Amino acid sequence: MGGALARHWGALVLFGLTALTPLVVKDAFFLDSLVLILIWGALSAAWNVAGGYAGQVSLGHSAFFGIGAYSAALLATRWQQSPWLGMLLGILVSVAAGAVIGYLSNRLRGPYFALSTIAFSQVLLIVVSRWRGFTQGSEGIPVPFRPGFWTLGLGHVAWVYVALGLALVYYGVQVYFERSRVGYQLAGVREDEDAAEALGIASRKLRVFAVTLSAALTSVCGTFWAQYVGFVDPFYVFSVDLSIRFALNTIIGGIGTALGPFLGSILITSLETYLRATLSGVRTGFTGIYLIIYGCVLILVVRFVPEGLAGLAARLRASIARSRGRATDHAHA
Amino acid sequence: MDPARLLGPAEIDVLAQLGVATVLLGGIYALIAVGLTLIFGIMRVVNFAHGEFLMLGMYLAFWAFTLWSLDPYFVLVVSVPVFLLVGLASYALIMRGVIHASHNVQIFTTVGLSTALQNVALVLWTGDYRVVRPWHSFVVLRVGGIAFNLSQVVAFVIALALTIMLFAFMKWTHTGRVMRATAQDREAATLMGIDTDLVYRLTWAIGIACVGAAGVLVAPLYSVYPTAGLQFVLLSYVVVVLGGLGDMVGALLGSLIVAAVEVAGSYYFGTAWKEVLYFVLFIAVLVFRPAGLFGQRGAETLGA
Repeated sequence: MGGALARHWGALVLFGLTALTPLVVKDAFFLDSLVLILIWGALSAAWNVAGGYAGQVSLGHSAFFGIGAYSAALLATRWQQSPWLGMLLGILVSVAAGAVIGYLSNRLRGPYFALSTIAFSQVLLIVVSRWRGFTQGSEGIPVPFRPGFWTLGLGHVAWVYVALGLALVYYGVQVYFERSRVGYQLAGVREDEDAAEALGIASRKLRVFAVTLSAALTSVCGTFWAQYVGFVDPFYVFSVDLSIRFALNTIIGGIGTALGPFLGSILITSLETYLRATLSGVRTGFTGIYLIIYGCVLILVVRFVPEGLAGLAARLRASIARSRGRATDHAHA
Repeated sequence: MDPARLLGPAEIDVLAQLGVATVLLGGIYALIAVGLTLIFGIMRVVNFAHGEFLMLGMYLAFWAFTLWSLDPYFVLVVSVPVFLLVGLASYALIMRGVIHASHNVQIFTTVGLSTALQNVALVLWTGDYRVVRPWHSFVVLRVGGIAFNLSQVVAFVIALALTIMLFAFMKWTHTGRVMRATAQDREAATLMGIDTDLVYRLTWAIGIACVGAAGVLVAPLYSVYPTAGLQFVLLSYVVVVLGGLGDMVGALLGSLIVAAVEVAGSYYFGTAWKEVLYFVLFIAVLVFRPAGLFGQRGAETLGA
């Protein structure tokens, strides 16, 4: 137990502080940023399950995000159903889609896998944006706000706790991939598939499992996001940019680590919020500028700190420990 | 539908028109795809920023036309050296450091470059759709019952000429041979005294120059906006995967197939659904023949 506490102290501090914040801070803007950080963090954690732990780097995860968002929005506007039911429907559809994609792209590696996932998300984007009669096409769908928990019409404080619950569950899922038999097997498959196969590990099944689970988790966040923002439109929810963002947070925070996606989201979402607040009203809008910074940060991070913030922290800790060790050596000498 | 009607004179005209449209479109797609497949074949890097260099080429044509009334086909003469320089600079600044890194690092480096370039364009030139319409985009030629646009014909002829020049360069020059040798076996090439860093630098620069030229050529035919590259780059992935990533002749055939799907799809199902058709084709090829219709099997599992 003590070992678990030591391993997860970073997460405990982060999530604990988040839980306490709404008791102290009442500022709507700040709470809004907190909810977004948690949702983007959870989305990146979902991406990390496939991209990090299974090594299936997807650039089409917005497909599942869009499925979750549209399931809830369509159920709510056409049949007046609760977003919780929309979330379940989204999970079912995403599991089916994730299993199909995971199965079909199973043989593909690296850039081939990334390309196939882009193609899947683009097919969904085109179908949803052209199927006007059912999805209202490119106009998008306003998601109705009805106060209450069952309808997810919540205030800022309640949203913080819903998003925090989501983040905790996703953190747990990642810890499972780090510490469980399945997780170790996946790591084996990721590093050396032939060797893993030789040990009797069903590598294909495991990869499909990871992609499918990742799809379901992404879809749930899509539903929450749609309810929170109150609007879905195909060119946003199915965009390649969004898929890149899930990956970006994870890489900057530390790919294949449980805390990484959340660290990345804290940095990137705050940066975005800050730039949105300071640069809005500039001629071309803030979007361009912060995305230029995104792009450059991504290039620099993968080049110089490929292990991300989480890895950087570990590296610093190790070097401090080393220099301390050296200091004690000197003391002994 | 009875066979007599299928082969009636009207249908033959339609087929001829569709055939001509396919070839014209295919030639332009080939020039876009050939740079991508060249870079992939030799450097083993999928350039996810390919579409953004195309977009920059389109803006070059747009500004030259707007500011100095320069016809895009004259701009082409300038664009090739300009994009060679852009290629050399981006290689030195960005690609050189990741050429021996893992696939993930390479994917996200070019993805980052793509995001940055798109938004540089957005900040500099706003998201407005712009058009380049020199006199030849309004000229419609008619041969028999077949009609086509002059800009498209010129673009096709130039694209084809550039593609053939690139083929000739790769096949018959010493540098081309050195590049092909590096593509075949990096290590052996190094042992033979080939400066692989120079090869990669050249490959990247030539690939970027090709797609920059393609951007200038398509500018009179399509709208120019910061994310204009996306539609073409997705399509050129389809092309190069169809042809077998890295296979230049395959890229040419792949372009024709994609153009045929697009032209026939637009005619029979309406333009709205043509993209769905070629993405479905793309997925089918990835699933059933991931090494491409003509490529070697197994490349996709090596992570290539």
